[in-house]
Amino acid sequence: MTKSPGRRVSAGVALAACMALAACTTPQPAAPSASGEATKGTTTADIKFWDPYPQRTDGSDWDKLVKACAPQGSTITRTSAPQSDLFNQLTTAVKEGNAPDIVVLDNPMMPEAVSSGLVATAKQANIDTTGVDANLMGPGIVNGEAYGVPFGSNALGLYYNEDLLKKAGVDPASITSWDALNAAIGKVAASGGKGITFSGVTGEEGVFQFLPWFWGAGANLNDVSSDQSVSAGQLISDWIGKGWAPKSAVTDNQSAAWDLFLTGKYGFAENGSWFASAAAQAKFKIGVLAIPSKAGGVAPVPTGGEFAVAPVQAKDADNHYANAAAVIKCLTDGDAALKTNETLGYLSAKPDVRAAQVKSNPVWQPWVKSVEGAQGRTTELGAKYVEVSSQLSEAIQGALNAAGDATAVKSAFATAAGK
Amino acid sequence: MTTPVSSAATGHSPSAVTQRPRRRRSTRWVAIAFVAPLLVYLVVFYAYPLIENVTMSLHRFDRGSFVRGGAPFVGLDIYREVVSDPRFWRVVSQTATFTVVSILFQYVIGLALAVFFHGGQFRLSAALRGMFLVPWLLPVIVSGTVWQWMMNPDSGVINSFLGVFGIDPVWWLNADNALMSVTIANIWLGIPFNLVILYSGLQNIPTDLYEASSLDGASPWQQFWRITMPLLRPVSVITVLLGLVYTLKVVDIIWIMTTGAGSSQTLATWSYGMAFGKGASTVIRYSQASAVGTILLLVALAFGVVYLVMQRRRED
Repeated sequence: MTKSPGRRVSAGVALAACMALAACTTPQPAAPSASGEATKGTTTADIKFWDPYPQRTDGSDWDKLVKACAPQGSTITRTSAPQSDLFNQLTTAVKEGNAPDIVVLDNPMMPEAVSSGLVATAKQANIDTTGVDANLMGPGIVNGEAYGVPFGSNALGLYYNEDLLKKAGVDPASITSWDALNAAIGKVAASGGKGITFSGVTGEEGVFQFLPWFWGAGANLNDVSSDQSVSAGQLISDWIGKGWAPKSAVTDNQSAAWDLFLTGKYGFAENGSWFASAAAQAKFKIGVLAIPSKAGGVAPVPTGGEFAVAPVQAKDADNHYANAAAVIKCLTDGDAALKTNETLGYLSAKPDVRAAQVKSNPVWQPWVKSVEGAQGRTTELGAKYVEVSSQLSEAIQGALNAAGDATAVKSAFATAAGK
Repeated sequence: MTTPVSSAATGHSPSAVTQRPRRRRSTRWVAIAFVAPLLVYLVVFYAYPLIENVTMSLHRFDRGSFVRGGAPFVGLDIYREVVSDPRFWRVVSQTATFTVVSILFQYVIGLALAVFFHGGQFRLSAALRGMFLVPWLLPVIVSGTVWQWMMNPDSGVINSFLGVFGIDPVWWLNADNALMSVTIANIWLGIPFNLVILYSGLQNIPTDLYEASSLDGASPWQQFWRITMPLLRPVSVITVLLGLVYTLKVVDIIWIMTTGAGSSQTLATWSYGMAFGKGASTVIRYSQASAVGTILLLVALAFGVVYLVMQRRRED
């Protein structure tokens, strides 16, 4: 059999490939324009709304709330994807000039989104940011300019199983430092229970859970391998080493860690305020504490929650921003803020709305202090935070794997920091 | 059918001469029209993404320059950085271990099962063979999650099972053991593919060879090494080479079980994590991911060439 026809075809393909190469090295499409004013535009018939809540399906309360915010004559199409996917999709959409009208973006992604030119200013999109707490607004302020608005917030706390603590003879009020916490976990373990669940999974989620211990030890994001930082790593590493925390913490996300706590076998769980309502309905009594710092007192927790932003538009920017302005106003203005936050299980980013939430729903009481004392992850480092977060993630994995071995924990942090 | 042909051939002989070039030109256009969809398909779905990938690895992209354009051309700098990254050679050796060990066990177990099912047609043998295909039919998200759950260090069934024999619980998915664990899961996943192909290969070996050899007094062991293995060689080569290419690019099972943490990081998961800012790498690294992707592609291509060379040698 002869092979020449096959060769000729492949030569043709190669030629076509070269032509494609020539085509793809032609100038990039023009950069999306950052101009546009919501006040000069009018709302349009189709409004695209993206959020990172795929668990809130069509017909859920959140879905209904968003869609009810469509201005007269408009319909809202809602699309959901997990945080990092949503950010990547937004990146591509802005590049291609077909960005949605509104995106709900996780707060530590804000500085990078702004520096990459994905987000319009709050002024352009006519978004009202007055009355929002400074610590929660922090991630959305770049070079003194505000981008988007955080409509709600969540925080991390220390849930505990009241029955197990009572059985072990632990007074929750005594847990105000790491030593006191370790003593309490030790007592729970000695009385036949298990210790504590948390998420140590790779990526931002595990880092988010580590930061209260990191900051509570007095560590600083500018120095990942400091002694304080290592001591926080040692704390969680010891929990694994002593068998107080499940080894699956290295792969558990926050939902998996919460499910483990709901088995009723664990004394404590580090988890978020978004589980507060679920905790109130659990089969056993669940209390909640502020996360203690190393030396004593309350540790700063990272601010959680998302920003509603208007992405940069290549065409018809005025109208798209007008859409964003209308929908965001409908979700955050006045009484709507309370409804939005209660629907999401968040605490409002505005103190007056928070007070109203606490008044009507007592599960929020223990969380207010944590939210008010929370620290923005990117406030210190801006867009550089993601780099540090990657290093921390590596260090956390190393520390958990060390299972208490102090030398290994120390070297995990040093390696992650590139030292 | 015959009339138009005969009328064209006999009726207009003078004009037929002048028509011939036109007809040839039109058949050429027809030929091009037939090839065009394939060409367009190849260019749009193969050549273009491939070239974009290589282009990306030669420019320094970040999220901003990805959106706005204007990423600076840096030649082979990204490749130099990737190769000199302390992680690179570790990841390469992990990838090699994962691939070689996976293929070895998949092939040996697949072959053993194929020979077993080929040897005797007992009752339920078809049903049993069907059951061995289950790993292939299940979505990897399901089997990956189940493996992760079975390998849970504190409450997983595998450790409970080992405990029956007095073996200490193993922390399957920690940094050191992760590679072994994902390899075990991947072997399980790849057995059906090997079983199916090798089984069909066995069916093509003439049975009279076995009959003749048994008349000559060959033992089953001799039959296997002297008849089955040599005659199965072409099929074995295809199976192993396809397996190599498949295994090199495995992301799903590893990602679901460990997100590429610890020793389970391979070139494919590393590239995936960097390309989408996932796993430990929260930072998106378009260029580095493309560079690793290109390296992976070159390795796969090398195996493809080996395959073609072997095929050609066999044909000659």
